[in-house]
Amino acid sequence: MLKVAGLSKSFPTPEGMTKVIDGVDFAVPEGECYALLGPSGCGKTTTLRCVAGLEHADGGTIEIGGRAMSDPARGVFVAAHERPIGMVFQSYAIWPHLDVFENVAYPLRVQRPRLQKAEIQARVADALALVGMQAMAARSATRLSGGQQQRVALARALVRRPALLLLDEPLSNLDARLREQMRNELREMIHKVGVTALYVTHDQAEAFALAHRVAVMWHGRIVQEGEPRAIYRRPETPFVATFLGAANVLAARLETRCNATEGVLVLGGSATARLLVAVPQGCSPGDALELIVRPEDVEVLCAPPQDMHNVTPARIAWMSFQGSQCECGIDVGGAFVRAMVHSAQDMHEGAQVWLRLDPSRCILFSKEG
Amino acid sequence: MTPALSAVRRHGELDLAAKLVLAAGALVAVYLIAAPLAMLLLTAVRGPADALPFEQGAQWTLEHFRAIYSDSVLYTRIIPDTLVFVLGSVALCFVIAFTLAWLVERTDLPWRDLWFSLILFPLLVPSVVLAIAWIFLLGPNAGWMNVWLRSLFGLEGTGPLNIFSMPGLLACQALASVPFVFLLLGATLRSMNPALEEASSTSGASPAATFLRVTVRVLLPGVLAPLILALLITLEQFDLPLIIGLPARINVFSYRIWYELTPSSGLPNYGGAAAVGLPFLVVAMLLLVVYNWLIRRAESFVTVTGKAYRQTRFPLGRWRIPALAFVVAYVMLAAVLPTLVLLWSALFGYAPPAIDSLGKMSLAAYGKLAGNRLFWLGLGNTLLVATLSALIVTTVGAVLAWIIVRTRFTGRRFLDFVSFMSVGIPSVITALAVMVLYLSMPVGIYGTVWILVVAYSYRLAVTTRISRAGLMQIHRELEEASSTSGARWLSTQRRILLPLLMPTLVSGFILLFITGVREFTMGLMLYGQDNVVLSVLLWRLFESGEAAASAALATIIIALVIPIVFIARRYLSPRGYAD
Repeated sequence: MLKVAGLSKSFPTPEGMTKVIDGVDFAVPEGECYALLGPSGCGKTTTLRCVAGLEHADGGTIEIGGRAMSDPARGVFVAAHERPIGMVFQSYAIWPHLDVFENVAYPLRVQRPRLQKAEIQARVADALALVGMQAMAARSATRLSGGQQQRVALARALVRRPALLLLDEPLSNLDARLREQMRNELREMIHKVGVTALYVTHDQAEAFALAHRVAVMWHGRIVQEGEPRAIYRRPETPFVATFLGAANVLAARLETRCNATEGVLVLGGSATARLLVAVPQGCSPGDALELIVRPEDVEVLCAPPQDMHNVTPARIAWMSFQGSQCECGIDVGGAFVRAMVHSAQDMHEGAQVWLRLDPSRCILFSKEG
Repeated sequence: MTPALSAVRRHGELDLAAKLVLAAGALVAVYLIAAPLAMLLLTAVRGPADALPFEQGAQWTLEHFRAIYSDSVLYTRIIPDTLVFVLGSVALCFVIAFTLAWLVERTDLPWRDLWFSLILFPLLVPSVVLAIAWIFLLGPNAGWMNVWLRSLFGLEGTGPLNIFSMPGLLACQALASVPFVFLLLGATLRSMNPALEEASSTSGASPAATFLRVTVRVLLPGVLAPLILALLITLEQFDLPLIIGLPARINVFSYRIWYELTPSSGLPNYGGAAAVGLPFLVVAMLLLVVYNWLIRRAESFVTVTGKAYRQTRFPLGRWRIPALAFVVAYVMLAAVLPTLVLLWSALFGYAPPAIDSLGKMSLAAYGKLAGNRLFWLGLGNTLLVATLSALIVTTVGAVLAWIIVRTRFTGRRFLDFVSFMSVGIPSVITALAVMVLYLSMPVGIYGTVWILVVAYSYRLAVTTRISRAGLMQIHRELEEASSTSGARWLSTQRRILLPLLMPTLVSGFILLFITGVREFTMGLMLYGQDNVVLSVLLWRLFESGEAAASAALATIIIALVIPIVFIARRYLSPRGYAD
């Protein structure tokens, strides 16, 4: 449905031209929701704006529904208003001089040939019903809450039945509680309509919850793409691993190689913390590695277990009570590991504990440089 | 890249309609300002003196400069008079305006809203109206105040006050310029974030230290900028120097240009007028550069958000009465007494009010005006010229602002400069430049109202600035949302941008309309058979000794302008499109 290939774009800055997008490729099949996820400045919004036609790409191609939208090499550029899209903006961009109905009717009113009044009426009513705003059609746009503006923006983007729905950080202007609620509603609405969607966000929870596939962007490139679960569980770079939620990044050294895939690892220079894990190919004993493990995957034991496999003694350096859980900083031979423990567990700062790391939950990268 | 950082539209993305609209706007702007100025330059270096630059027999010459600058009158009269007039009246005006602005914006003075409206009065009516009213009040023989003072102190003869003197001219000009400076200073005082002062207090600074180390430093650029602008505006004044200064034989630059064009004998000296005008223009431009520098500094200091803060008000305490007396004195002199003296003179004739003259009330002056063909012509012309020029300037200014804010067109800085320059061009110069341009061009608008429409339309800076501020407050995504909804550029402008910008445009239009009604200089200098405007007619009536008729006309002008301001008031305050 949407095909983007070799997309690139530079902006002039005081230091010269800066590449904001540097060869981005992806494709979104019909009816899927695809998320571009990355920190601010990674080029995800610019990519979206190129797809919308609000920004000119310098190179590469954009195709929507098999039709070329942008291909600077061949001089092809379809203006934003001629693309079969609907877009939800970060600020919602609800026009303050129009009421809710007129905001949503707008894409139909500017459509040529003109639509029948009755048809506009019916389609706007449908769109408002979809987002649960039918009762507020006559309300002034200046008297809407953030969540309501968001719904109106979505109805407006969908009312002309676009081939492609574009969403630019649609939830980032809402407060945390509303954001969570709207995330679920948004997913329901998008999936119900079955529209192909491109979703830009910096929040991995949003991307995971809404998208069928997620692309993580960094420095103008897609660094990893895949289904949410796969990306979260099998990050291919330390950046992806750390960007997708809290992660411990631990310095480690390969002590010995046991066989083709496994080896014994020493954490933080201490001789006491040893792990038997799968190690990357091409590593030899003595190599520095980075071990990444998420706090929820660190098992904290109050007493030494029977099976001391991959268990290492440690000490609780600090604890921070967070309600159902406690976050602890744990000293493992000089390296600090963050872990989550149930708050009912009897632990205190300075206590001796034992950490068990599940090798299948540990990700190892060769230390760069 | 966040949208804000990339928030500049490339002109490559505009469609044909967009390019046509923008190109037309840019061309009109350049034409309205640059064409007359180019003609002025040419006139200054082409001779002989009574010839236009492209007339038969005209040739390159520096004779005009030699003639003007070797004339000792320039050094003994014109430059000293101009300096005393400008510096003196600005100093006086500034003291009054700052005191008023501080009292109204930062103290607990009672009835602040009332004072605010009354203080603006001189800004709304033509200075000719004020000049005539002040002559009625302060004329050495029959001026009301002099009559009262003489009877109060048992004096004989004329005086004791004489408006026809340098102090008289200074005082009148100062009173007339106060509202303009008051508005600018008020904006500066309002934009001061009180947290800056509070932070100083909580750092342990005494109120005096806070005032000296924070308040003064932060406000300084915002206070100096209006000062420079006041110098610039006063430098270009022509109406009061002509009406009040000339009888006192005070000779300022602007008057000199007029004198070269209408000598008591002989032909108009176009070259000489241009040669007088050029250095005048250069000084004005220099002041403008200083002003621009200050205003940028002021903006970087305080008005970044442009929002007005809730100010902590200084309690006046026992200074309440003197403060009120000061405000009342200004309002009496600048608004109330002028209106009363005009109304009284129109109804009862030009003698100080007395009980026994009450019976002599007559509407004869108004009847005489109604029977005067020139009155109806002037009224129509004034409305036509003020409306059309305000429309042109508002439209062109909005297009310029759009180009400056929303495109990366390479020439946009030049357009910004051209439009901003119009603040610094004295209207005497514009009138002269427009005059030689249309005397030379075979379009036949000289002497008609159309030349006034063109001449009045040079004040682009005001609307460009206002529209620019308005545009910047309209989030780009509001326009982009229209594009992604399938609307073409023109459709987006018409359905989204124009309605959102309308309050801004209306307030700009009203401002320019009032400026157009007030305009006297250009109307007088470009005066022809059929293009008389009310301010010029007023002066002509007054000059020909028709005191009652001129007073009646003045009251009509007041009655014409004031209601417009009140009707339009809701547009002058920003509407609730807060995001």
